[in-house]
Amino acid sequence: MSMTFDKVLDARGLACPMPIIKARQEINALQPEKVLKVLSTDRGSVKDFQGWAQTAKNITLLAQETEKEDGKEVYVHYVKRVS
Amino acid sequence: MTKQQAQVTEWTVREQKDRLDRRANFFILDVRNRDEFSAWKIEGRQTPRMLNIPYFEMLEQGGKDDFIESIIAYTSRELVGQLPKDQPIVAVCAKGDTSAYVADGLRQLGYHAVNLQGGMRAWGNFTEINPVTESRELSVYQISRPARGCLSYVIVSDGQAAIIDPLRHIETYLDMSRAKGFRIEQVIDTHGHADHISGGPALAGQLRRPYYLHPYDAIHPIDMLPARVSFEYLRDGQPLAVGKARIQVLHIPGHTLGNVACLLNESYLFTGDSIFINSIARPDLGGRGETWAGLHYHSLRRLLGLADTVVVLPGHFSSPQEANVDRLFMASLGELKEKNDGLRMTQASEEAFVQYILGSLPEFPPQYVEIKRVNAGLLVVDEEKASELELGKNVCALAQAYAADST
Repeated sequence: MSMTFDKVLDARGLACPMPIIKARQEINALQPEKVLKVLSTDRGSVKDFQGWAQTAKNITLLAQETEKEDGKEVYVHYVKRVS
Repeated sequence: MTKQQAQVTEWTVREQKDRLDRRANFFILDVRNRDEFSAWKIEGRQTPRMLNIPYFEMLEQGGKDDFIESIIAYTSRELVGQLPKDQPIVAVCAKGDTSAYVADGLRQLGYHAVNLQGGMRAWGNFTEINPVTESRELSVYQISRPARGCLSYVIVSDGQAAIIDPLRHIETYLDMSRAKGFRIEQVIDTHGHADHISGGPALAGQLRRPYYLHPYDAIHPIDMLPARVSFEYLRDGQPLAVGKARIQVLHIPGHTLGNVACLLNESYLFTGDSIFINSIARPDLGGRGETWAGLHYHSLRRLLGLADTVVVLPGHFSSPQEANVDRLFMASLGELKEKNDGLRMTQASEEAFVQYILGSLPEFPPQYVEIKRVNAGLLVVDEEKASELELGKNVCALAQAYAADST
């Protein structure tokens, strides 16, 4: 799947809670309708991004995918700022 | 951040277990997401009061850029009156990093908050060793993972040892062997486990000692593929010697086709997954519950033919409340005949028993098929994946035990 995005946050190697803390900072710096692509190696980020998207009023989680990179799984989250 | 984190007091999982065992008053603030929390939480003989607030809700609803400031804002607005001021609050998350921030924020508000070091992962891997009996002639130790409800055993006689159902972290047994000065001569799995990764092949392989398994369990029941682990055949009636002690192998198909129990010196019965303290094993984890339930019935009746004084040492527990005052999960066969519902049902007809058992099956965790693959050597996983597969409490018993324990 190829999603369009406006900015990339590389949170690979970062442990919880950093992927969401950094994603939230990036999202708040983006204009509405812009999309942030987040790369994370933390498996827990998959459920946590879903929960965060339900809680935060100004974002939508457009898609999540898992990619293989050197045998390691990378979890990709597409977060759109909606307001 | 570093300076603030240094102020946070941490509890190790050992310290937490001790507090749970002595029913100390403390409160749990679990900041994992709601699915993870509802699937698996900390339990004790007396489970502490707890609250689940996912950390991202604290962050988002606290509304600050800084995480700790958000925690402080959220807590002082939303949680006043819900958190105790007069007892410790332990902050818990998946791996212990995020909860350290939460504990820090709470401490700044004057709460006596601590972080659970290593989080639920460390809690799930925590291992405890408790002696069942100790003498030169015969010692038996129960090795447990309290958070998962997995039990394994070390039998020592005359400096020689047999390990029954070793858990994944084999250092536990190697450390014991050094500390207590015994030699591990054989490793036995009572069956091919579905809920946890066996330490059997690794332990036996490293020590170049035999790994015993019943051959029926060396076939993955769903994949129908032969195991890629080297093992010695167990068979019904087989005698095994451990120093001066004698083990008799009893083939008791039901939970699996190659399920066995080990009778030690005609006094201790290692039941694996057949008889538990409050329940009995489920027969459906190989995908053939309807067919295997009848086998289970006859196997359980066979075990009940042993003397009432025989001490049952099971492969699992469902609730910490099943432990006795010495933290041991054990009971005489006579006692279990009276109080164990599943065993009482074996007094009914086979048809009634099968109907009862098939009506009491809990959910089939999908990862159990994969764990059986790992145990059969058909799939190799790293530590990260192994931890993930083993996450949560075992679901090897019938559902009744859980309903009864939740009261």
